[in-house]
Amino acid sequence: MSNVINASNLTLTYDNGRKEVITDVNFTVKKGEFVFITGPSGSGKSTLLKSLYGRIKPTSGNLVVGGVDLGHVRPSKLQELRTHMGIIFQDFKLVNEWTVSKNVVLPLMIAGYSLDVQNTQAHRLLKHVKLTEHADKYPLELSGGEQQRVGVARALAKNPVLILADEPTGNLDDYSSNVIWDLMENACQQLETTVLVVTHKIPQVFSLPYRHFIIEGKGVYEVH
Amino acid sequence: MKYIKNHLMFILPLMAILLGIEFYLVFDRATDTYEKGLQEGYSMLVVTNDPMETDAFRALNRHISKSEPIERDKIVSKIAQGVTKEGEEKILKSLPYFYNVHLDEYISTEELIGLKEDLERSPLIKKVETFGSNYESNYRLFTFIKFTLKIFIGFMTVVSLFLIMKQMEIWKYAHKERMQIMEIFGAPLMLRSGVLFKVAIVDAIVATLIVSSIFLYLKFQWAVHSGIEIMVENRDYLFRVTDIGVLLAAALLIVIISVYSVVYSAKGVEE
Repeated sequence: MSNVINASNLTLTYDNGRKEVITDVNFTVKKGEFVFITGPSGSGKSTLLKSLYGRIKPTSGNLVVGGVDLGHVRPSKLQELRTHMGIIFQDFKLVNEWTVSKNVVLPLMIAGYSLDVQNTQAHRLLKHVKLTEHADKYPLELSGGEQQRVGVARALAKNPVLILADEPTGNLDDYSSNVIWDLMENACQQLETTVLVVTHKIPQVFSLPYRHFIIEGKGVYEVH
Repeated sequence: MKYIKNHLMFILPLMAILLGIEFYLVFDRATDTYEKGLQEGYSMLVVTNDPMETDAFRALNRHISKSEPIERDKIVSKIAQGVTKEGEEKILKSLPYFYNVHLDEYISTEELIGLKEDLERSPLIKKVETFGSNYESNYRLFTFIKFTLKIFIGFMTVVSLFLIMKQMEIWKYAHKERMQIMEIFGAPLMLRSGVLFKVAIVDAIVATLIVSSIFLYLKFQWAVHSGIEIMVENRDYLFRVTDIGVLLAAALLIVIISVYSVVYSAKGVEE
């Protein structure tokens, strides 16, 4: 299977290159794999995730995602790459002045799908995350768990090649967390979507085979 | 209420700028006509030894547009009353040639002095009378009014631009989150800023229409019924259809610059 993510001798820094977070790291993630990256707070998990969607550029080494070298990518190419990704955030990052329905179809809107297609897909996705009755509500009218389900539905909207999730259940109760994990497992299993999750703790209920990386002392190590 | 307030906060300073531009256009048209009037009404008296054509004058200075000979016979008949026919002819022979010389544009006092010197340098010309003091006071008053209005319009524009920048800060705050989220999911710049553009373009059109309406009212209602003769006569200067295009273009330019400043300043902020 082809690599969706390929990091070689990757070094990431922040604070204008003054603070090194990850040094000389090598790892690959193949299509359809489910990967957890864990590590203590401040270890650089989120920085690594941000580098995977081009928010942070590699300081040195190579980082290739979906065949695109993120060290030397043009803004238009990065924009296009992001349309093939689904990104889930701990703080949901929903547009609060948009309805749930409109939030969910954001990737379709960006891709230029017609309103009819967007409406049909919104209905399908909201049914999938069991939020059909909330379609016309606004995000702030929903609970945290419900908002994250909207976030997951949005991430799945365009059948992305890669889902990146940053502490997706960080602020949620156990029930809501389990719903979110189920949705992501299904995406990986049924759609062969590659899923990379940054989290402080791997859920106990997780049933799929997965790979696990730990970030420690500026290095990324796979746990077998 | 908040929605209307948000729009007014952008429309009002935009209107102030557009009013300034329109005032400038009106003043420019009015002064242009006044300038032409002054220039056409102004002429200098040139006394020559021999008859001279306009081209000969123009060869001495390019600002000379035409020359009109003053009929010598009439001068002689006025000064030689009671003189014999023979005497009259003698006077006519000894009399130089007089010309009213007109200019092609309203030139500065310095240029007028230069023109006089150019003419006086010619051996064909005996004397040049420019009526300088009258001309200078007109010219100074004219440039002073123009300068004052430009300063006022400039000041109004600067203040309005500051108000627009303030409103941009509010827009940036209101739209930043949405634009950042859209950017994360790969939305191109035009899509991210689409809402802002729609709002701003609508505001630009509204501001243009209001300013145009004000001047149309001044032209067709106020000027007509003002009873001020000069206003009634010159009301055509108050507003022209082409001004709508100028105002709309200016408003759209301000809008585009404003929206791009918001979009770029909201780009790439920590997610």
